[in-house]
Formats: sequence, structure tokens, C-alpha cells
Amino acid sequence: MDVVAGRAFADERRPIRHVDWLLLTITLGLSVVGLFLLYSATNQTLRQDGLDPFTRVSKQAFTIGLGLVVLIVMSSVDYRFFKVYAGFIYLGSLLALVLVRIPGIGATDTTGTAQRWFAFGGVQITPSEFCKLALIVMLAAVLSEIRTPEPTLADLVKMLGLAAVPLVLVFLQPDIGTSIGIAAIVVGMLIVAGTRLKHLLILSAVGVVLIGLVFQTGAIEDYQRARLVAFLDQPNASADVRYNLDQSLIAVGSGGLTGKGYLNGTQTNLDYVPEQHTDFIFTVAGEEFGFLGAIALLALFALLLWRSIRIAWMAKDPFGTYVAAGIASMFAIQMFVNIGMVIGIMPITGIPLPFLSYGGTSILVSFAGIGMLESIHMRRFT
Amino acid sequence: MEKASSRLRVLALLVALMFIALSTRLWFLQVLATQRFNKEAINNSARLVYSDPLRGQIYDAQGRTLVVNQESLEVRITPDQLGDKGEAVVGRVAELADVPIRDIVSKLQDQRFLPSQAIPVAEFVPKEVGFFIAEHRDQFPGVEVVPTAVRSYPFGRLAAHVLGWTGLIDAAQYADLQKQGYGPNDIVGKSGLEAVYEQYLRGERGKQKLIVNADGETIQALGKIEPTPGDDLQLSLDARVQRLAEKALAEGMVRARSYHDAIGNSLRANAGAVVVLDANTGGVVAMASNPGFDPSWYVHGLTPQQNKYLNTNVNVGASNNRATQLSYTPGSTFKPITGLAAVKEGFASLSGSYPCEGEYTHPNDTSGTKFYNWTSVNLGYMSIARALEVSCDTVFDAFGSDFYFKWAQNPLGDNGDLLERDLHEWGFESPTGVDLSSETQGLVPDPGWAATRPDLFDNGAWIPGGDILTMIGSGYVQVTPLQLAQAYAAIANGGHLCRPHIADQIVAPDGSVAKRIEDHCDHTIPYTPQQLSYIRSALRSVVASGTAQCAFAGFPTSQIAVAGKTGTAERDSSKQDTSWFASMVGPDPEHPAYVIVTMVEQGGFGGQTAAPITRQVIDALYPNVTDASRPSCITEDR
Repeated sequence: MDVVAGRAFADERRPIRHVDWLLLTITLGLSVVGLFLLYSATNQTLRQDGLDPFTRVSKQAFTIGLGLVVLIVMSSVDYRFFKVYAGFIYLGSLLALVLVRIPGIGATDTTGTAQRWFAFGGVQITPSEFCKLALIVMLAAVLSEIRTPEPTLADLVKMLGLAAVPLVLVFLQPDIGTSIGIAAIVVGMLIVAGTRLKHLLILSAVGVVLIGLVFQTGAIEDYQRARLVAFLDQPNASADVRYNLDQSLIAVGSGGLTGKGYLNGTQTNLDYVPEQHTDFIFTVAGEEFGFLGAIALLALFALLLWRSIRIAWMAKDPFGTYVAAGIASMFAIQMFVNIGMVIGIMPITGIPLPFLSYGGTSILVSFAGIGMLESIHMRRFT
Repeated sequence: MEKASSRLRVLALLVALMFIALSTRLWFLQVLATQRFNKEAINNSARLVYSDPLRGQIYDAQGRTLVVNQESLEVRITPDQLGDKGEAVVGRVAELADVPIRDIVSKLQDQRFLPSQAIPVAEFVPKEVGFFIAEHRDQFPGVEVVPTAVRSYPFGRLAAHVLGWTGLIDAAQYADLQKQGYGPNDIVGKSGLEAVYEQYLRGERGKQKLIVNADGETIQALGKIEPTPGDDLQLSLDARVQRLAEKALAEGMVRARSYHDAIGNSLRANAGAVVVLDANTGGVVAMASNPGFDPSWYVHGLTPQQNKYLNTNVNVGASNNRATQLSYTPGSTFKPITGLAAVKEGFASLSGSYPCEGEYTHPNDTSGTKFYNWTSVNLGYMSIARALEVSCDTVFDAFGSDFYFKWAQNPLGDNGDLLERDLHEWGFESPTGVDLSSETQGLVPDPGWAATRPDLFDNGAWIPGGDILTMIGSGYVQVTPLQLAQAYAAIANGGHLCRPHIADQIVAPDGSVAKRIEDHCDHTIPYTPQQLSYIRSALRSVVASGTAQCAFAGFPTSQIAVAGKTGTAERDSSKQDTSWFASMVGPDPEHPAYVIVTMVEQGGFGGQTAAPITRQVIDALYPNVTDASRPSCITEDR
């Protein structure tokens, strides 16, 4: 090709030529797997109610399509743009978290226990999901400006202050799952920022004390306390509280090595696992595809996280590294807490499995996260 | 970014640990423990639903229906599911079903059942009760209203002891029957024919496998098997004779209460039994036991009063079948049998004659023990036949001494008693094997038994009085009216000991005979036809000119020959004598058709109470024979 060297060089560095196709493939792969699992989890119940068995699947597919648009938009935007507006984004997310608490603006679920989302027509938007990304951007912006080899105690306090505001707001909704997610994002980013181990340990200790205090002061709802107690003291938990976990364990455990076959899971088809299409979607994979299927699904997540951390490592600037590390932490903790609760090694907290759980905001935020990762990957040479 | 890359490694390591934790746990759940979870998953979704079969019906010999099924709406309460508001729930059910609260409570607290069983507390409730409970589920936890078939008795109290009753399977029965496919809420036969023929009457449960979802909704129904109705039971019992026998017994008991005992007290005549056997087959034609009860009480569930009357009454509750479940001292009705034993052993001869003195002392006995005849007059020497006719005790007392001397020589070894062995040949001290539940075997006292009762025998040592009293059907010997009837039937039919049976055949739902209840008459008694004929003849004299003469005055014995033996058995001083009459009747004096045994507790003399009742039963057996007369006088005998 007869091209001018400089021009050719510039062309080689064009962002569009550096898309991480593997990451994109994994994202789409997980989403498609999610659609299949969702169909298995919902078709019988919908049929019984006289509805189209594809109702939920179509809605989720539409959301995924929307997610792809978000992904493309986010990856087209230079991620450094977010650094400039980090403050606005952060404050905006806080405003949303405050507004959702105001009756008449925020919507309450049917049981009236939690106030977590805005209802726009038939669409529910959960600001706590978006606030995770906003916080990542904000923390990355602050961390990337630190000039010392490692964050000072003052930096640490500043970071924690920034994280504490959304954390408390989310916790009060109450949404323990998202609170755990936010805490994990902060820890992940602090590790990457080179925080001294001593500080991290102190931070953990403070966290444990705070959790204890929360329990003592009764700031959490009874049902949440019951769930946590059930996790810590399984043999003595009440039948109601155990039911969810028991059915979930039966579903996954009965899958065996190779599973019962697609659409053949009795626990799944007969509606024994509550919340199966949202928080407990992993049980479908466990029951119908067995240990091998579950491990394959874990492998997809492992690939996704490997690409995310690789992007953090390859990023052109510290801001990109921190954002990518934050997003990787976000995906990792959600995956771990969600699957962990399904198989009984984490308490039940109500946290969606990225790309697989039914639910608009979770999908959109996950795709936005991938979009930002792509943006960092694509612009590592520019 | 060199620093950052090493820190990212830390992050990657943490993520790797997460994957290790999840994979390990999945390996445990899905590979190591999968069998347990798999079983739980199957338990979750697959339900077997059973449908109860219709229980077989019971007919009499003429095809009259004695037990049928009737539809009922039944309220059941499962105590386990009542929750902490149990009292309020029971109160609501009591009000709704119009049943006293304490009746429900006593049923729920019945220790025979498990708290996980659905216990019926009200029958035949109106449909509205079912609707109300269904509409107010939250107010009635553990309460269900179930359409069911319950037993119904067109003849009311008739033959209640024989038919028996059904009820909720109790915990002990359930443990036994579970393997045979019984459920915890099944109704089973508890007594009488219902219990003995349970396996035929019950039928087979229908079942269907259902796949249900978490809400209990049926998703799929697989392989339905319809229930198979139970087999019907056809009896040898004749409802007409049964009804008249029950009537005769009841009337005779009322009559007896107008008589007085030796010290001037009215006879109590509190209970009695009549057994009518086909002498040649052992088929039971009638079996009456008084006091009686209405078996439908059990269908509705017993009230505390009914329970007391049936089970804990001081005179031994009314639920007992006095023909089979209680044993009595047979008195002189035993003499034909013991007399034959004495002949067999060579102590007596049918051609010999023996002294009937006023009192009898065992030879060489210096203790002063005397056995008195019913009269102090010395009646002189007489034949065995005459001794039976006038029921002379002292003749038989002497044979008792012979049995005692023989025992002292110990010919059987092992301390065996000849008289006992001879009585065993007649079926005494063993259940007859009749097709009724909980039959008692009675008692023939012997040296071995005496050794276990030092309270009755000094040092548990056998004494002459043991054999002497058994000889006259007195002392400790105990028989059931049915055992006595079986023995008399052997005298009547020429020596065959037939196992009594009430059911004749088992009829399948399609009308074919599923099983015939065969007669079992193979067992014979070691006496010649001549010896038995001699006894029959002697017993006809009892009716013609002996202790039953008054009771049968005017009876057309030329048409229907009647041979019988009265008995008046002494009991302990607090109880009046047991009145007996054991008899055989039929047109042919040499081949009696029926054996009738009548027994009235505290009924006085045999000729006074039991014999007239028997006469009424004979009238019932032969409705075409005109018996216009009534008993003319009272014969006092012992």
C-alpha cells in the first residue's frame, strides 16, 4: 500500500481499528445465553397465565438491543471526556438517588418495603445502578490526579467521603446488594491505586464495625435481617426464609454433572425457585446444564473479567486504568455475590447477575460499562 | 504504569479466588451431593393422589343387605396443622357442624392416632358447611371437608357384634399396614367381620401420578388407575332368625328380672348370648349378644357416654361379643361331654348305673370337703342318661375322683391331666377359629395351671376337687357359648368338630364368587356313633321329662325333636348364677339340623331363663311349626 508513513501511522491508531472484539463477543454471548435461560425460567408460567411465552424474552431482547446502542454510544465517546465532567456526573447521580426517595417521584414496589426506581411509562429506571458508574468515574478522576506514589491518608478519606454519600443513600432505600457492590468497587479501585495494606485493613475493620452498628440500631428492614441471620445460622432459620435458598440449592444440586437438559428442569419449569428470572437466573443453568454448564458460564465471566483487567493494564492513562479496574470490580462482585447466594455461600441480598438477570437498568448499565471499557481499549494509542 | 500492573495482579488474584470458591461449591452441590438434591427435586414435583375404593357390602344368607355404603360429607381436622389458634378453630367447627366441643377435643386427643392424621370429627354435615369452610380457609387451618362413603346399617342394631365396625386407621395399625399400601387417613375394619375380612372388603385404592408446580397446581396428570371396589360378603347368618333370636334373648332377660334368686334378690340378667349353628357345617345362623349397640355410633364417632357404655361399663362393656369374646363357667351343660370322657377312659359305662347321693366325698379324703348335689335326697343308682336328665352332680363327681387317681399315676407324663386332654379334643381352651376378631379361648384347669395359681391352690398343688368340679362344669373351667355350641354340634352330627363360620362366600364386584368359605369339619372326636346317639337320646329326655320339661311343656316335639341340657353355673358370691341351655333341634331326632346355645349372665336356673329363650329361637327357626303353648313352670336344677 502506497501510503505516507505519518498518515498510515495515524490511520493505524484510529480507535475503530482497536475494538476488543473478544470482549464484545463475550458480552453478546452472555446476553444470548441469558435469553435462553430466561425463556426456560418464564415460558411455563406465562403460558399458564395465558400469555405469550416469549413475553419476557422479547422484552429482554429489546433491552439488550437498547444496551448495544448504549454500548456503541459509550465506546464512541472518548472516555477522557468523562473525567472532565466527573463532578457533574457524580452530583447528578446523587440527585437522582435523592429524588427517588421522594414519594410521588420515586416508585415503590408492590410490597411497599423498598423505594428504588423511577417509573417512566412501563419502564423502570433504577438510579442506584447508574450511580455505580458515576462513582467509578468520579473516583477514577480523583485517583488519577494523585501525584504521590501511593494515596495518602487524606486522599483515602476524601475517596471514602465521596463513596459514602451514594452508599448511604442506596443503603437507605434499602438496597443492600447495591451497597455491597459500591463498597467492592471502592476497595477494588483502592487496591489498584496502591493503597497500603495497613490502610485497607483499617478500612475493612471500620466497615465491619459499621455493619455491626447498622444491625444494632435497626436501620435495616426485618426481612433483610432475617435473610442474613438465615445465612449465618442456616439450621435454625425459619422455613419461610429458608425456602428460597432450599429451592435454589435443590435446583442447582439436582442438575448433577450434565444437567437435566434444556427446558427439562423440574424446579425451573414448575416454578419452585422464587425470583428465578431475575436474581436466581443462574439456577436455570445449574439445573438444566449441570456442573459442566455452570462451569462454562463461569468461564465466560472469567474471560470477561480477564479482558476487563487487561484493558485496565493496557489503558493509555491512569484515569482509564482506574475506570477499567472499577468496572471490572463491579462485574466481579456482582457475579460473585449473585452466584454465591444462589449456591448458598453468600447471603441473599438481591443483586442481579450481569447480562443474564431479567431487568432493564442492570442490562443497560452493564452494556454502558462494556462501552466504556471498549472506549478505553480503542483509544489506548491516541 | 508498572506499579499499576502489579496491583492489577492483586485484583486479578482476588477475582481468581472468587472463581475458585464458586467452582468448588458447585462441584460439591452438583457432583458430590447431587443425589440428595435430585431426590428432593423429585419429591417436590411428583405427587401420587389416591382415590378410595368403595368398601364391599355385607349380605345375609337370603341376600338381605346388612351393611351398605352411604355418602357423607365429613369434617376432618389434622391436629398438627391447627396452629396456635387451635381452640378457636375447634370452637368454630363445633358451632358450624353442631357437635359439642368436648366431643371434638376428645377425638383429637385420642392417643391411638398421630397428630399428623386427619381425624374425622363430624359426619353428614350439610353442604353449606363445606362451602363456608372452603370460603374461609384462613379461619380453618387444618380443617377439611371431604365427601366420603361411610358404613350404613339398614337393620340398625341387628348383629352389631358380628358385623363389627370400621374406623380411622390408628397409629399401630398404620405401622403394620403401611407396606400394604394403606394411607394414614384410611378407614379400616376394627372389629367383627369388618376386621377379619378387611383385605377383601377394602378393595384397591385408585391412584394417579400428578406433576404439580410450586402453587400445588396440577401441570400434568399421568397414568390414572381407577379404584377397584371391595368384594362383598355373603353370610351364613339369617337376618330373620338373628332378629328373632335377639328379640327372644332380650325378652327372656326382661322376664328373668321378675324372678328371684335363692336369697330373694331379683335376678339381674344383665347380659346374654344366643348362638345358632348349622349342626352339620358350622355355619352360624344367628349370634346374638346382649347388651347391644348401634354400629352407626362408630360412624359418627363415639361420644364419651357411648364409649363408656361400650368399653368401660362395670359389667364388661357392651361392645364385647358375649358369644365369643367372654368365657363363662358352663355348669351342667358340660356333663354330656365330661360324661363321654369318663366312658372313654373306662370310669363309666353307658350300660352301668351309679349312685346319686345327696353329697359326695373324695375317697379317703379326710379334709371334710364335701360336694353336694342340688338336692340332699339320695336318688339311688341311675344310668348316665338318667344322671343327665335330672342333672345329678354326685354321679359325675365320682368320675372326677377317678380322673384324679389316674392323674396321680401320671400316665401322660409331664403332669398332664387326662380330663383336660379329653376336653381339648372337643375344642375347649382353644379359639374355635370363627371368622370374628378377638376370640377368647376359655380355660380348662389342669395341674400345670394350678401350679401358676398358688392363690387358688395351696402351694399350687393339684387336688381332687380340680377334676371333680371340671367334671360338672364348675370351678375354674371357662367356655364361650360358641365353643359349647361347636361341641354340641359334634354330638349332633355324629362326631365332627366343625369350625364355626359366619361368612359363606366372598363375592367379587362382578357378581362372581371370589372365594367360598369352606366348611372345616375334618376334625373328629373319638366317640362312636352309638355313644353320641345315646347322649342325644338322653338329652331329649331332659326336654321331655327332665330339667327342661317345664320350659318345653306343650312343645310339638313330635314334629321338631329337641335335645338339650340345662346349666346353672355358680359364680363368686357377688354374682348370681349363669343360666345355660345347650341344645340341638331338627325334624329328625337322630340328625339334628341346628345347635342352639343360650346363656344369660346372672339369669338364674338354666330351665328358668335360658331354656325358654331357646324355645322362642326354635320357633323362629321353624315358623311353620305351630307352638301355641308357653313354658308352664320353672324347673330348679343346678
